[in-house]
Parts: sequence; structure tokens; C-alpha cells
Amino acid sequence: MDLEFWIVTTLNRALAYGTPILLATLGEIYAERSGVLNLGVEGMMILGAFFAFCTTFFTANPWLGVLIGALVAGLASLLHAFLSITLRVNQIISGLALTMLGLGISGTLGRGWEGKILESTIASVEIDYLSKIPILGPILFTNQNSLVHLSILIAFGLWFLLFKTRIGISIRAVGENPAAADVMGINVWKIRYLCVFLGGLLAGLAGSYLSVAYQPAWASGMTAGMGWLAVALTIFAFWNPLLGMVGAFLFGALYHLSFRLQNWVAPEILNSLPYLFPIVVLIIVARFASKKRIGAPAVLGQPYKRGE
Amino acid sequence: MFKNNYLKSWLVIFLCLVLVLGFFTLNCLAAEKVKAGFIYVGPIGDLGWSNAHEQARLVLEKTYPWLETVYVEAVPEGEVEGVIDRLINQDNVDIVVTTSFGFMDGTLNAALRYPAKIFFHCSGFKRAPNLATYMADFHQVYYLDGLIAGALTKTNKIGYVGAFPIPEVKRHIDAFTLGVRRVNPKAEVNVRWINAWYNPQAAKEAAESLISEKIDVLAFTEDSQTIVQVADKYGLPSFGHYSPMYKYAPDHIASGQLVHWEVIYLDFFAKVYAGFYNNKNLQNVDYWWLMKEKAVELGADFGMPINSVYQEQLKNFVIEDSFFGKISVFDLVAKLQKEMADPEYTFSPFTGPIYDRQGKLRVPAGVRLSMEELITIEWAAEGVVGPWPGEPEK
Repeated sequence: MDLEFWIVTTLNRALAYGTPILLATLGEIYAERSGVLNLGVEGMMILGAFFAFCTTFFTANPWLGVLIGALVAGLASLLHAFLSITLRVNQIISGLALTMLGLGISGTLGRGWEGKILESTIASVEIDYLSKIPILGPILFTNQNSLVHLSILIAFGLWFLLFKTRIGISIRAVGENPAAADVMGINVWKIRYLCVFLGGLLAGLAGSYLSVAYQPAWASGMTAGMGWLAVALTIFAFWNPLLGMVGAFLFGALYHLSFRLQNWVAPEILNSLPYLFPIVVLIIVARFASKKRIGAPAVLGQPYKRGE
Repeated sequence: MFKNNYLKSWLVIFLCLVLVLGFFTLNCLAAEKVKAGFIYVGPIGDLGWSNAHEQARLVLEKTYPWLETVYVEAVPEGEVEGVIDRLINQDNVDIVVTTSFGFMDGTLNAALRYPAKIFFHCSGFKRAPNLATYMADFHQVYYLDGLIAGALTKTNKIGYVGAFPIPEVKRHIDAFTLGVRRVNPKAEVNVRWINAWYNPQAAKEAAESLISEKIDVLAFTEDSQTIVQVADKYGLPSFGHYSPMYKYAPDHIASGQLVHWEVIYLDFFAKVYAGFYNNKNLQNVDYWWLMKEKAVELGADFGMPINSVYQEQLKNFVIEDSFFGKISVFDLVAKLQKEMADPEYTFSPFTGPIYDRQGKLRVPAGVRLSMEELITIEWAAEGVVGPWPGEPEK
């Protein structure tokens, strides 16, 4: 088979599968940039997936489902925000609790929802005139979901916001030196709450994509570790939304290839390959890059208390 | 005041007595019943294996008034012994049914530890005087599905998403491929493994990757409706698995494999209740039930062997069969279905000569594979393309 066909089909699937990971990663980048480590991504994603599915089932409106899914996950993230920002509890424990809570709640409520059929879903579309563009057309605009396009736009938007605007400077300042930012008149708590909430919304959006667009069905535990992957990719991306996009789609491509290449490489090795890649990247990051240069927020995981 | 308290304590004692007596009578009543505990490896909400067993349990409980059942779902394979202990000691069950191959050793250990109880293990091969085994196998149904798939493909490339490369799944893919090649010797079956019984995302991406490779018919072994839905999205025919999946793709699902575990359960439990089976004589009791026992069925839904959408196409697809001569695939399916359901069992998909894909003769002409050979099968039939872990050397 010719190379172009391989590249096109692989990248096409890479976008489709990488999109939920991208959205969750973008959210985690913002939370961590403001200094809050949120390990609850997996839990927020699955809550989003479940509530989006239910809402779509009852209202037959998948876009309303996506909205509700994102909002529910956003509300769940506020729990983590309250615990870790206001009450200043250990962020790792609070995040883990959120993940377990999300998986538990969705698993319990989700009983009896497996195998249900959605009347209307966000279907993949083929945009006629755009899909004729060579290479890019078949990758981006053939059999691709509009949420995929939306998430790419969101990635560019969030990159611009973080690095090219005053708000972005404030967010990064809060993550680097909250005391100094506080003195400058930046409201540290407000910024952190908003960033964590945004992280929740995006995680919920990621989950909604899974259950009403990518594969319209509910299955308990359907996020299958994507939230954890997002936490790892945040580091891979050096806390940069555009690199996050590269990482998420690279993972998507590897996942697709893990089935595609089975004719030549043992399936067991291939199936573990996508998960090996974050580990390798983390090792490289730890070995070669110093903390400052790569953009890790200096006070990541540390609660801020005025006057300390 | 004192008198009031006095009355109160008498009342309490009286109520306690009523409760104790009540429980006692309840216990006596319950003793006439048989209680069985079912252990599932997956959540009962899935649309595959565990769900099929759960449906059968419900039929069983409805049919036999003397039977009471409980179940435990999503039990990890290593933890089955503890769950059995609990069922026996806390729930007082008399019969334990374990429904996953991975429960085999745990079930055997428990059977030796509780010689007075009866155990029933699905898909294993280890038995004891109080431990029987059972299986409803799909290989005949897969063969019929293969006949249909071979007639429906236009690219001559059929996709198959497999769970684990173990003999059970290999046997099914082989049977499917033998069916495909009988009606379409040019067609090939492309296999991809997801190494999971239940993983909708992996199933979806495996199916998408097969579709990228220009396959145009999809069959699978996985416990969700995912692949039927993916095939539907592309307008391709597919085959349901374990549960009725017609409703997920009414216009595109061609047929599929359906199970009736209740047929086996009803038989076994009746024989236990009648005293025909007890905790001493199960050493050689092994149900291996197929189409003739009505334990398995061809179809996307019960009573619908072939979706009417594809019937015309199959009637028009006429082949020169080595046994039946000129025949349409539609008639061929019906004929072979009848032969396999026949009490005499006049046809087996694994009747020689059969060559594996390396060209080695696996089943000599006129020979039929035994059950022992079928449950340990490792070779890949001619026409299978793709990875095949554990493939025997040439």
C-alpha cells in the first residue's frame, strides 16, 4: 500500500481517538499552570461521559448532552478546588478521591444504561468542499466529528490565552510565585478556582465526546485510563497547549497503529506501545530537562496561604 | 411508671420470641428449597458473556419454584475462592455456578474443600465428584456465519476482531473462515486482536483499522455492541455476538451467534433436584452442547437466522458446492443448519480434508475432529490472514 494512504488513514484516526485526550490534557495544563495538581481528571471525564449520555438519551439533543456533561464535570472539579485551594488539603489525595468518586458514582448510576441506544448523536461529517484539499482534506474533513475541529480550535485559543495575553501572564504568575502575584494585586484564589473549573469543563467535554460522538454508547469505566494519560501528557507537553496537541494526536496515532501493524509485530507488544511512550517521555524529561526551562509551575501542588 | 416499664419489658421479650420463632419457621421453609449462587466475571450490564448467563439465571429462577438464586458480578478471576466461601458460609448456597474459564482452579479447590456442595463450572476441563463442567459452543454457528460472510463480501476481505488468541476464539475464527472459503475460495479473513474480553474503545479502533484496510464485512468476539455500530456507520454487514444485537443496526447486521445457557441450566438443575446428580457422581459430567441441543442459535435476534435485508443477495449468490452441487448460499445455510441441529449430527464444520494456512493437512479426508481436539485447537485455517500467537510450527 502506498505511503500517502497510510499516513492519511492513520492521522485521520489519530485525530478521532486523540481528541478526548487532547481536551483533558488542555484542562490539566491550565489547572497545573495555576499551581493546582488535579489527579481527578479520570473521574471528571467519566462523570461527563455519563451525564452527557443520559441527557442525550432523554432530550435527543446531543449538544445539550455535551453542555450538561461538561457542566457536571466542572461542578465536580469545584469540589477539588474547594478542598485544595480553600481548605488547603493535600492535592494528590483530593484528586485521587475525585477520580474514585467519579468512577463510583458513574458506575452505580450507570447500571442498566449499558446497551441503550441514542436516537441522535453528534455524527461524523464529510465537509464536501474542504475534504477535496489534498492530504489535509481526507485527514481533517472526511468522516471526522465537528467536536474534533472544535477541540483543535480550543487548543490554539488556550495557547494564545496562556502566552499572549495579560490573563495568561496572571495565570502563570500564580503558578510560579503566588505571593508575588498576590502583592501585584492578582486574586490568586480566583485564578486558581477558574483554572480548575476550566479543567473540569474540558474533562467533561472530553468524556461527552466519548459517549455521544466517538462511540455513542455508555459503558462503565469507558474512559479506560484516558484521564491518567492526560496527566502524563501534561508533563510531556511541557505545560504548553500546542505541544499537548502533538502529544495527544501522537498517542492517537500509536493507538491506531497498534491494530494496524499487527500483521508484522506481535499484538501484545503493540498493545502496550502507546502506554510505553509516556513513560519513555517522562524519563527523558526527568533526565535532560531542568525544571525551569520546560515550564513546570514552581509551586505545583502547594497550597497558597497569604503571609507564609 | 414502674408498672409501665414492667409491661414494656414483657412486650420486648414477647416480640423477641416472635422474631426468633419467625426466623426459625422461615428457615424450615427455606430448607426445602435449593439455593444456587452464580459468579460472573464481568458486569451483568455488558451485552456479552455475563449478561447471557444472567438472562439464563432469570429464566431458571422463574421456571423452578423450588430454586432460589443469588449472584455476584464482576469478580476478578483470582478472587473466586473467597467469593465461593462467602456464598457457602453466609448465603448458604447448595450449588455454586462459576461462569468463567479463569475460575477453574479456584472452583476446583473450593470443590475439594466443600465436598457436600455441588459445583458447576463453565468452559473448563477440570472436574471432581462434586464438580461438573459445561459449555455451549459456537463453532457451528460461526461456520454458518462464515458462509453468509463469504457471499456478502465484494472486496474478498473480511475483518475479524478477536478478544484473546486462545483455543476457544481460534476455533471460532477457524470455523468462520472454513465457512467463508466454502462459498468463496478467494476471500480472506483479516484478524486483529485486542487482548481483552471487554474493551469497547479497542474494539472500535481495531474495526476502524480493518476498515482502513478495505475489509467490507465484520465479525468479532468481544462483549459489547461496538463493532456492530461501527459497521453500521460505514454501511457494512456485521455479525452480532452473544446477545441479540439486531436493534443496533437493523439495516446492516446480517446474522450472528446467540446462546441459550438456560437450556443447560434447566437440565442440570432438574437432575440435581431429582437426585440424579449429586455430590458423588459428577466426575464425568460435561455438557458440550451445540445446535442440536438448542444451546446455541444462528441469528441477529432470536428467531431471525438471516436479516431479511440480505436474504435476496444470498438467494442470488449461487455456488457450485462439492457436496450439494449448484445451490444458493441461502439454501446452503438452511440445509447445513438443519443437518447440525439433527439428532444424528450429520454434518460437522471440522470434517476433513482441512489444511492449515501453512499448507499442512490438519484433518484427514473423512475424519471429524473430536471435542478434545476442538477445545485444544491452535492452528489457523487456510484463508486466515494476520497475527496468530501460538501458531504451531510447520
